[in-house]
Amino acid sequence: MTEWRKKTPLEWLSYVNKEVQVLAAEKHQFKGWVLTVDPVSANILLANPLDNGKVSVSAILGHAVQDVEVMNEADDEMKEKLERLFIPGESQTYSQ
Amino acid sequence: GPTSLPSAAPEDASVLQREQESRVALRERYLRSLLAMAGQPVSFTMYEKVSVTAVFGTSDIDVLNFQVSELQTPLGVQKEALLRCSDIIAYSFQL
Repeated sequence: MTEWRKKTPLEWLSYVNKEVQVLAAEKHQFKGWVLTVDPVSANILLANPLDNGKVSVSAILGHAVQDVEVMNEADDEMKEKLERLFIPGESQTYSQ
Repeated sequence: GPTSLPSAAPEDASVLQREQESRVALRERYLRSLLAMAGQPVSFTMYEKVSVTAVFGTSDIDVLNFQVSELQTPLGVQKEALLRCSDIIAYSFQL
């Protein structure tokens, strides 16, 4: 693949809602559902739903990304879950 | 940095427009994640096998530095600190 940080926004958008495996610097590996890719830093934001109903959110910094492999595509239920994650008042753990 | 944002060849205005729309959608979601992270404990994976945790404060607009508090280091707790994003491989938190 071309260098991750040199991809176009359209290329980054094609990773959203896909389950990916990311190889990062110093042999770190990350897996999860792509929430977004920051077009400024190329940071990849991943979501991993946990058994307790919470969601673990991880970001791999764009400069540390070495390879991104697509494993799966989200179904409608998962897409909706990913879309709702950062909307205030919609999250299950948000209490106000 | 932001001066080297990739963009499509300007031969096709509709491609350029779709690219701009993609950029906006991607950026908005990322900024919302930074808002959601404010005040939360975050684990940072740094280079050289160093891991630290801290309470996330904010980021600068170019995502070059993170302002954090209560940074747990091997030498003790740093009340306020700036982490350079170039030193970080990854970070994670729970929602």
